[in-house]
Amino acid sequence: MKFSFPFLKEALGNLFSKPSTVNFPKVAVEAAPKYRGRIAYDAEKCVNCGMCIKVCSPGAITRTSEDVPEGEKITYEFDLTSCTFCGMCQDFCTTNAIELTADYHMVATDPADLISRGSRIKKKVTGKLTCGDACVYCTLCAKQCPEGAITVDRANKTWEVDESKCVKCGICIDKCPKKCLSFAEGDAEGVVCSDSCVYCTLCAKKCPSEAITVDRANKTWEIDREKCTQCGICINACPKKSLSMGAIE
Amino acid sequence: MFKKIITKSMAKSPWIYHINTGSCNGCDIELVAVLTPRYDAERFGFKLAGTPRHADIVVVSGPITSQSKERLIRTLEQVPEPKCVVSIGSCPRSCNVFKGSYSVEGPLENYTHVDVSIAGCTPKPEAIIEGLAKAAEILAEKREAMYK
Repeated sequence: MKFSFPFLKEALGNLFSKPSTVNFPKVAVEAAPKYRGRIAYDAEKCVNCGMCIKVCSPGAITRTSEDVPEGEKITYEFDLTSCTFCGMCQDFCTTNAIELTADYHMVATDPADLISRGSRIKKKVTGKLTCGDACVYCTLCAKQCPEGAITVDRANKTWEVDESKCVKCGICIDKCPKKCLSFAEGDAEGVVCSDSCVYCTLCAKKCPSEAITVDRANKTWEIDREKCTQCGICINACPKKSLSMGAIE
Repeated sequence: MFKKIITKSMAKSPWIYHINTGSCNGCDIELVAVLTPRYDAERFGFKLAGTPRHADIVVVSGPITSQSKERLIRTLEQVPEPKCVVSIGSCPRSCNVFKGSYSVEGPLENYTHVDVSIAGCTPKPEAIIEGLAKAAEILAEKREAMYK
């Protein structure tokens, strides 16, 4: 009878090899790329269109709004104890305000610690940014504008605003030392529909705040300016490219 | 003196009992992964107990369904004090996507106090280890308070 050690090589090899156990608490472990963990919400980027709430299947996102003197305070809460981490909110966000980070350390004794929240104050704005006569062309507004929408020429004493760039954040109004900047009433901007419209109702279906009403029979297109958050989803959805941001008549 | 030795040694081997109350099996797989040599929770003394009467920590996964409700309550009653209840994933905390179903009886919070909640759907094994370590800490505190 031949005497042999069939697993001797394996046994000796394992004696001198490194353990396969991940030494976790002592050695930090990073999540795999594209791991969907704790939700990071950037309230400053959010336009409050509500698309994330619509696509969230467990209903983990709540929006609360309260009136404050400066306007409307909008708070978004992402309940991580209710979330499936599917990433739909991130995919549907038009402004990339929601991000599912690689942070997986979501352990808490108090469930209130497992809520990602963010709030911002939405100013009551309707009109176009205008500059009054008191302007001294100090250029402070142009320097503070986060979008670079304002151009001031000190030599020629001109003040101009690029309507397409202005996001109506109101920072320039706060910074103006002469308090001559304001949002004019009247030429407000919003989503407008042109003649090329075929009344397909796609814009109405895509609108997260249900602001658009399209009547195919009577060929009418209507928008509720109160409901519209100017998120731009309808403009991207229009197959005829007939929707655009423009001056409201 | 014996009490001291027992308390000290008990703190180093918190046994866990796992109850699935209608989970999709995702969290259960991750919990089993935690006990395998790859993550090896037995390094910290965690051992899967066969019966709730031997357990210190109860790990609950899944929303509470009408079928599992009675079993959950019966199981929790059998666990000796001090005990620690840990919820894995979103389901025991909020019923997740199953909320509103005719057969779901609501979150675990309605039936017992949840000491540690681990969020994720499903949580990573590392997160489960963190949660269990926290539960062991709470358990030690509870035991100390009990035998004072």
